[in-house]
Amino acid sequence: MARITNGLATSHVPAIGVAMDLGKTEEPYWQPVFAGYDWTRQWLAQTKPDVIILVYNDHASAFDMKIIPTFAIGCGERFKPADEGWGPRPVPDVIGHPELAWHIAQSLILDEFDMTIINEMDVDHGLTVPLSACFGALPEWPAKVIPLAVNVVTYPPPTGNRCWALGEAIARAVASFPEDLNVQVWGTGGMSHQIQGPRAGLINREWDNRFLDGMVGDSDHLRRIPHIEYLRETGSEGIEMVMWLIMRGALGPATRALHRHYHVPASNTAVGHIVLEPVT
Amino acid sequence: MMTDIHQYLAEFDDIPGTRVYTAARARKGYHLNQFCMSLMKPENRARWKADEAAYLADWPLTDDQRAAVLARDYNRLLDLGGNIYFLAKVFSTDGLSFVQAVSTMTGMSVADYQAMMLAGGRSPLGVRSIREGN
Repeated sequence: MARITNGLATSHVPAIGVAMDLGKTEEPYWQPVFAGYDWTRQWLAQTKPDVIILVYNDHASAFDMKIIPTFAIGCGERFKPADEGWGPRPVPDVIGHPELAWHIAQSLILDEFDMTIINEMDVDHGLTVPLSACFGALPEWPAKVIPLAVNVVTYPPPTGNRCWALGEAIARAVASFPEDLNVQVWGTGGMSHQIQGPRAGLINREWDNRFLDGMVGDSDHLRRIPHIEYLRETGSEGIEMVMWLIMRGALGPATRALHRHYHVPASNTAVGHIVLEPVT
Repeated sequence: MMTDIHQYLAEFDDIPGTRVYTAARARKGYHLNQFCMSLMKPENRARWKADEAAYLADWPLTDDQRAAVLARDYNRLLDLGGNIYFLAKVFSTDGLSFVQAVSTMTGMSVADYQAMMLAGGRSPLGVRSIREGN
């Protein structure tokens, strides 16, 4: 049977992808950002996930204002890097796992999560930057990827509690897939950042670290953080952290941390990264 | 427990210097954001660069929205229903990074804004709530 072995969370700052694509990772500004991913690259090379369910948000790339799905799952064979206005990133196509993706989509709908099913779309930095940061620059991605896109742009985004419950339902769906697969769930986005208005540049190191602390253990209080708290404390774009809760919900009642990294700044953003395993 | 949508939305107006992208803003800015989205295509970017005003004439924007786009007044564009991820198509076409464009909304120079970020970013102290002043 397929099983969820680990969860991982990371920011998906576009500038991290640009720094890698332009070979700037050893520059003093970027070195401390990337140093936090060295451990993860080695760990991923050892643990070799077959499939990554990658929770992210689209930033006006695949979705414009015509259609706004709250939760969408990519069931296609492959997904190309999006042209976000300066040409597509020079990274490999993302190879999907249609069989598992459709299995999850069908299971979730019967489990009362009414998913939008996506057969064709391009994937933007929200999805490709976590792959680049965690795997490095490679000719092809070493795992299949099921994109799971969440609306965190147009209000209201889903609640943290709903994200957690979706994660739990994803875990049930994966557990009923007959093939023996090592599946990881990645939650991306955050941490504190605001890229609009006079308050732009907001960073809340203390809150972010409390959230990272909270990802370990039973994490139950994280489910009840209201949107207004993310907005006030972590900036208007800090709301992306609800996506981490899908990953956390998928890991079950308790977790332990294998690795943790936090750095300010990357561009306008606080970079947070954590690798978790379920405690049974 | 059902959240009261009116209360939920009202709280957003209490955050200093922040325009939350609500349904009201999304409705007001629909064509503005869709215009921005059109700049994802290279052939549209070329037409836009050749004559911005003529390009805008093809879109059903208000006069205020047109003027704010031409002036690259991003705070005004947020007020007029623009969303930052869509507006990013305009400043990316101008060759500006997020840091360069975002700093224009803060009243700081790019250099001062970058220095603030390197020093750990803007503290939330005093900018969490207008009502509470914290």
